[in-house]
Amino acid sequence: MENLKDKKILIVDDEPEIRTMIERFLRKEGFFRIYTAADCASALSICRTGKPDFAILDVMLPDGDGFSLLSSIRQFSETPILFLSARGEDEDRLLGLGLGADDYIVKPFLPRELVLRLMAILKRVYSSPMVERLSAFRLGEQSIDLDSAVVHRNQKELPLTAKEHAILVKLYENQNRIVTSDALCQAVWGDDSYGYENTLMVHIRRVREKIELDPSKPIHLLTVRGLGYKLLVKEIR
Amino acid sequence: MEGIIRILRRFVATTIFISIFLLIFNFVLLGTLVFTENYQHPSPEGMIKQVAQGLEKQDDSFQLDEQATELLKQNHAWAMLLGDKGHVRWDYHLPNDVPKSYNLVDVAKFSRYYLMDYPVYTSEHTDGLMVVGYPKESHWKYQLDFLPDWISSLPLRIVLLLLCNLALALLISIVIGTRLIRKIRPLVDGVHNLAREQAIQLDAKGIFGDLAQSINSASAILQRKTAALQDRDEARSNWIAGISHDIRTPLSLVLGYASEMEDHSDLPEEQRHQAGIIRRQGEKLRSLVSDLNLVSMLEYEMQPLHLKHIRLSVLARQVVTEFLNNGLDDRYDIELKLADEAVQIHGDEKLLLRAISNLVQNSVRHNSQGCKIIIEASLSKDRSQYLFIVRDNGRGIPQEQLAEITELYFSTRRKRPIEQGHGLGLPMVARIAKAHHGRLVLASGVDQRGLTAVMEFPVQ
Repeated sequence: MENLKDKKILIVDDEPEIRTMIERFLRKEGFFRIYTAADCASALSICRTGKPDFAILDVMLPDGDGFSLLSSIRQFSETPILFLSARGEDEDRLLGLGLGADDYIVKPFLPRELVLRLMAILKRVYSSPMVERLSAFRLGEQSIDLDSAVVHRNQKELPLTAKEHAILVKLYENQNRIVTSDALCQAVWGDDSYGYENTLMVHIRRVREKIELDPSKPIHLLTVRGLGYKLLVKEIR
Repeated sequence: MEGIIRILRRFVATTIFISIFLLIFNFVLLGTLVFTENYQHPSPEGMIKQVAQGLEKQDDSFQLDEQATELLKQNHAWAMLLGDKGHVRWDYHLPNDVPKSYNLVDVAKFSRYYLMDYPVYTSEHTDGLMVVGYPKESHWKYQLDFLPDWISSLPLRIVLLLLCNLALALLISIVIGTRLIRKIRPLVDGVHNLAREQAIQLDAKGIFGDLAQSINSASAILQRKTAALQDRDEARSNWIAGISHDIRTPLSLVLGYASEMEDHSDLPEEQRHQAGIIRRQGEKLRSLVSDLNLVSMLEYEMQPLHLKHIRLSVLARQVVTEFLNNGLDDRYDIELKLADEAVQIHGDEKLLLRAISNLVQNSVRHNSQGCKIIIEASLSKDRSQYLFIVRDNGRGIPQEQLAEITELYFSTRRKRPIEQGHGLGLPMVARIAKAHHGRLVLASGVDQRGLTAVMEFPVQ
């Protein structure tokens, strides 16, 4: 993971103070190969010569806009790009992402947010191509392996059906938070899943039979009346 | 186009009606004006009958009674009675040029036409043939001969005649009508386009030239005004967008350094606390700027809508779930009463989420003592509107402020200072509802307590 901090980062913004501030934050986070540019022309030449591993682009630049700069860079490089724009309109966001940007942050931003998103992109792009594994976690007596879709209970293996698995994944992604039944239906049956609420209840009951000691008095998979469900997971550190 | 066809139809119908009316009118006139002169009283046939009856045989001579004499005198007529042998047996004022004796041929001749140019009429009398003559050239006599076939087919012929008349009237009216319509059509199209605010330039020649000119100038004025209005709205919106853009860069620096100081472990606790305040206020400013931008875009109808079919009940659950997941205090109790869940409206998901969220946030923010919030959604009674209601039993809004609370606070219509929040929440909801062709209605709850906010959306 440490080698991510070795990556070369290019910051393009016409405001020198913004450049200074971002550079400062990144250095504090441990990045040390940082380039800065104030306009499209110098940004392009740095891209050609320095071959940065990541670029943070402003949308409004003195000699053009970030979108056309992105297109120019894309002609010779697949460098991941994050837009940092003072324009918050949805159109701009969609345009930027549609052109192949990896993320779009609207100013003003919190430094932590910028660093988190940057790290997420770097991880996705540069980490060793390890198969992303779904987690395994414990719920009281049971342990649930989402990767192999199996519940271990009293030395027995209870396999999960595809639908039960999809429900548990969605609930686990939002553990300890309420997930609306609409969102669960959408996760399992896709868009236009209206009318599956009763079917969802049936599947939830089957999930409970596998993960709850007493399915009629659930303590892990709770019903939030009128809204949806909530999976209580106690983190074991 | 439909309008033009309607005009043509009316025109043709009116023309046919007028033609039929004219025809009937003419028949009536024929009877009352043309043929009345001929219809003298009594008719020659009537008079001769009276004269024949009035002539009495007394011994060897004839005597005409007073009434018949008077009648003849009035009409300047003369009369004679021909005996069996063709001699005049009796006469009254017989002119000199009329012979006194007739043979069979003579009688046959004058009984049909004239006797020495005198129009004469004949009638039977017990003692011979009664002849009454009128002054020369006072009557024209025509003989009419009809075949039975002709008489029997007469009604058909009259109907045919009427039909021909009708067809001709129809043809003429359609020809005249279409010619007129061809001239009117550009004008009609022009006025329709005027209503659609399109630019129009009509040919100002022809009989409707001045009308076309007026429509042209009305269009020009309208275009100018619309353009000016658009320019102004765009300028206002761009101004706000520009300001919010210009605020974003300095605010980035404020937020960035303040949050850095807040996390800086070398700084004393107090300074870090103060940096935290700066950071929080900066974030408030950030949300104000983006809300202001959104509201002004909505106000000037420049906010693009990403429309799709949405069930509001889904959004309601999503908003409530977010509030609960983000640790809503136990003082607030949210209850959902969702009906007609299958109903979809055409809307922008992000904006609608924002509107619902604003309404709930509004109830939470203005009732720090806690309150019960009820979210209801259902079709209206006539099923044309979908109603989304957020109701609380909190402090509510004074009646006199209800009307103006959805105005923007920089508007002259809203003068009261805002107590809490930045005062954009409800104006934003009202504008989001309006952008969806709906509306926001605010009312006080029961006993003037609490606030009831109703969003109405049209159901497709």
